[in-house]
Amino acid sequence: MGKILIVDDTLFMRTLIKNILFTGGHSIAGEAGDGEEAIAKYQELKPDLVTMDIVMPKMNGIEALKGIKAIDPGAKVIMCTAVGQEQMVKLAIKSGAKGYIVKPFQAPKVLEEVKNVLAS
Amino acid sequence: MKEVPVKIEFNKEWIVTKLSVGEDRMLLPAPINKEILYKSISDVSEKKNILIITVKTDTEVVYKILSVEKVLQFLKIHILPVCNAYRLMAYFMSPAIRGGVMIKEAAWEKGSVVVVKSGIWFVSATKQISVPLSEVAAIELTKRDVQGKPTDVIRIDYLDAAEVVSSLVLCPLSTLQVLYNFLKDTTKSMDMKGTELDGVDQQVAMLVYSGMDSHAIENMLNIPHKQLDLIYDKILTLGLAEVVIIRREIQLTPKGVRYISDATKSQTN
Repeated sequence: MGKILIVDDTLFMRTLIKNILFTGGHSIAGEAGDGEEAIAKYQELKPDLVTMDIVMPKMNGIEALKGIKAIDPGAKVIMCTAVGQEQMVKLAIKSGAKGYIVKPFQAPKVLEEVKNVLAS
Repeated sequence: MKEVPVKIEFNKEWIVTKLSVGEDRMLLPAPINKEILYKSISDVSEKKNILIITVKTDTEVVYKILSVEKVLQFLKIHILPVCNAYRLMAYFMSPAIRGGVMIKEAAWEKGSVVVVKSGIWFVSATKQISVPLSEVAAIELTKRDVQGKPTDVIRIDYLDAAEVVSSLVLCPLSTLQVLYNFLKDTTKSMDMKGTELDGVDQQVAMLVYSGMDSHAIENMLNIPHKQLDLIYDKILTLGLAEVVIIRREIQLTPKGVRYISDATKSQTN
């Protein structure tokens, strides 16, 4: 079970991911609504894993991922985005993402991916 | 011909027998006594470990063949390349996404897409994946990065054991267009305007998709259960969901209150 930072610009998606993670027995380290806040919260909270939306205001998820990786090369980040933006996969993986989930997603699969990344 | 052990449904009973499988036909022994040419098979589908084939000669006859995966795969390898179907050479990636999670080891496979009456099959040397048309949730002509170039592909989303699976098909654009039009046309009954549900209704539908139960949905959206019931009614009426369980909320009677009070006393004494 891990301590997880949820990064998404919509409250609805943050709440949904939070609920899914709770049902899997994980705890929530914190939440962030954009890339800049994500980097700040990562430094402050030192979570075990980050779920990171890609399309966000101020700083997008890919830039935030790079920022987090610059602070902690071992950071475990799962990218999260909408259907049709899967071409971002290569860029995200190249930038150090450990996993990738596509909205809309199903709870058991998300928990499986979180478990796999935490164990990696 | 090679003999394989199967059970075949005959007169509503399963008969244990051996099926003789040849290059262009198979023989169903007594008491069925039937020779089936693969090219006379007009439909092939699979449910769990049962292969269902429809043979069309003067009339249509459906045969159900039950066996282990290895035997069914042997049968599919023989039937699918020859049966009466629309067939196109293609690259496919199936599954590419399962339940919203990208499959890391997913790769493009060279093979064919076989379109039969009840669905489509992705067929390669090692895989035969069936997608029943009744389980197709979405079809989209889209682009994917293939060897560094944005390339036209079809994304097919379908339900497999209650999980949403996405598969991709890659072939020349003109062929893709034919396949796309066919799939759109045969699943036309599922098309909607997109305006049937308002914002909150859509959020509820998405939460159901994600696997949230009624209690979690009420808490997350901060709506009373009566409002959620009305939204459920709307979603059910539109045929977007089905009832899987009806839960009850209960309140203790005076007898129940006394029972709990007594039980608490006996625990504290």
